[in-house]
Amino acid sequence: MNFLSKEWILGYVFAGLFLLMTLFVPGFFEAYNLINMLFQLPELGILSLGMMVVLLTAGIDLSITFLAALAGVIVATLLTNGYSVPVSILAGVATALAGGLLNGFFIAVVGVSPILVTLGTMTLFEGIVLLLTKGNSISGFPESYSLIGNGLLGAVPIPILIFAAIAVILSILLNKTAWGRSVYMFGNNPTATLFSGINTTRVVLWVYLFAALMAAVAAIIMTSRYNSAKVDIGSSYLLQSIAVAVLGGTSISGGYGKVIGVVLAVGIFQIISNGLNLLGVSSMVIDMLMGTILIGVLLINYVSAKRKQSQTA
Amino acid sequence: MSKILKSSELGIGVILLLLSTALAVTSPVFLTGDNILDILKGNAVLGILAIGMTLVIITGGIDVSVAAVTAAITVIIGKLAVSLHDSGWSLVAIFLAAPLVGALLGLINGLLVAKTKIPPIVATLGTKSILAGATLYVTNGAYMNSSDLPEAFLRFAQWKPLGVSVLILIFFAVALFTWFLLNHTVIGRSVVAMGGNPVSAMRAGIHLQSVQLFVYAYMGCLAGIAAIVQTAYTKGVDPNGFNGFELTVIAAVVLGGANIMGGYGSIPGTILGVLLLGVMQNGLILAHVDTFWQDIVTGAIILIAVTYDVIKRKREEANRAKIEIEA
Repeated sequence: MNFLSKEWILGYVFAGLFLLMTLFVPGFFEAYNLINMLFQLPELGILSLGMMVVLLTAGIDLSITFLAALAGVIVATLLTNGYSVPVSILAGVATALAGGLLNGFFIAVVGVSPILVTLGTMTLFEGIVLLLTKGNSISGFPESYSLIGNGLLGAVPIPILIFAAIAVILSILLNKTAWGRSVYMFGNNPTATLFSGINTTRVVLWVYLFAALMAAVAAIIMTSRYNSAKVDIGSSYLLQSIAVAVLGGTSISGGYGKVIGVVLAVGIFQIISNGLNLLGVSSMVIDMLMGTILIGVLLINYVSAKRKQSQTA
Repeated sequence: MSKILKSSELGIGVILLLLSTALAVTSPVFLTGDNILDILKGNAVLGILAIGMTLVIITGGIDVSVAAVTAAITVIIGKLAVSLHDSGWSLVAIFLAAPLVGALLGLINGLLVAKTKIPPIVATLGTKSILAGATLYVTNGAYMNSSDLPEAFLRFAQWKPLGVSVLILIFFAVALFTWFLLNHTVIGRSVVAMGGNPVSAMRAGIHLQSVQLFVYAYMGCLAGIAAIVQTAYTKGVDPNGFNGFELTVIAAVVLGGANIMGGYGSIPGTILGVLLLGVMQNGLILAHVDTFWQDIVTGAIILIAVTYDVIKRKREEANRAKIEIEA
């Protein structure tokens, strides 16, 4: 075991921050606050896992949050028009998957670079949401739907259970299935992967479908928790999800990244923003701090990589 | 002539021409001088930022902090205007401080990208959230209107030498200067060389880190100029006014035929990209199309343009003389 790997270091930071906040922030280590955090964290966490898988293939998905908004608005529209909860959710997921297929088609089949395709589809999805909602928010969902984002199973919030299940499944998918290994291979060397007889088009297509599915799940949790859906739901999560994935050790140029790293990074984000919030620090300062942390972590990575290099040389 | 026909600006030029013709036929207002000047004036900020972004993208980089940098500088302009109220110096101070602060902020991006090899999208993402947070913290999101701006600045904003708004002239001057820089100076040719092939450029004696420092600082400097133009255009300062604008800037550059992986991009192409976005928006308004359709049309056009570009490039590659390589 390498106790100095990126993931272990993230673990130490997570534990250290948790301890600090518990000791110095009144109200942090209280059941109410802890449960609150478990309600807040899954949205960003699920989107970040979707983003991570895309980053593994050296891609990027700028459309993920507006795709989530689109899925959320579809679910909300159907619910408020009297459709049942399962039907509405299915329709939302199907919409998101269609959007993911559109991304995947242009990226994997046509071969346009991911940042351009998702820049276009991002604007496209935003437009569709605006057209559907006319810029208004949709609200008023049945009781059973709001349970998804606000309910407890025993003492555990349902959203965190969904997040945990996704993290476990994704971890298995990435490490134990042919698709998962192909994703890492593709990220390291697309040409070599193709020449090893792997259908890279299909691998990449599934990556964007997976990200779309994550967008749908996050959308369902968000709409259910806020009891409303509108165009900018979750839009602030776009750059945050990239930041979390990178902070979690995912390489933006593809090929490296672990589920546990991203999960710890979301936890760190949540602890910092919650703790500072309790201390009465303004949310803008927290934004600045997140940016500083992102750059700081990358600088540390750079320095340690350089030191390792000079040792081997 | 054949060079013009093969250029990647042609496609977008043709789309722009078709769109303009259609608009001229359907709307009597479109082809009036006033309307065209309005389009140019309304897109001067986008144009200036897109020109800077073209250089960054040519080197294979990207700068998602431009919107935050521009917003931060509009706030600085506002603060300067208030503290120096209505002396002739306030204008001088604004025109000196804005590009200078911009260049310094850009230099920070440049240092992160050039010295530490942090991927540009991540490095600028970090500086973006720091700057955006700082801007909102300082201003509390409060809006400033024209009564806070000095008389001299307002007169400048209204100035129309030769009947053309000074804001449009600034946009043209930036475009012309950058075009000259890119095509006829050593640093400009180094930018293109680095984008084409960094290793060859290095072996040819180009110091890549300096080139990177230059493009990000230049981008920042143009963001400062764009901030002046924006403040003059809206006659106010809105700290939230640029949310998400960086993606529009990138879209304009890409529509203009620049290759997002680096190596290719041109100032005329970028201007066509800016004009296409501007004309489209103007046309949809003139045609009384629901504003909600604007994003859908913009998104569809981006998708079509980039797909066309890739298909064309693939076809060119297939048509090239083939060299058999023994395995």
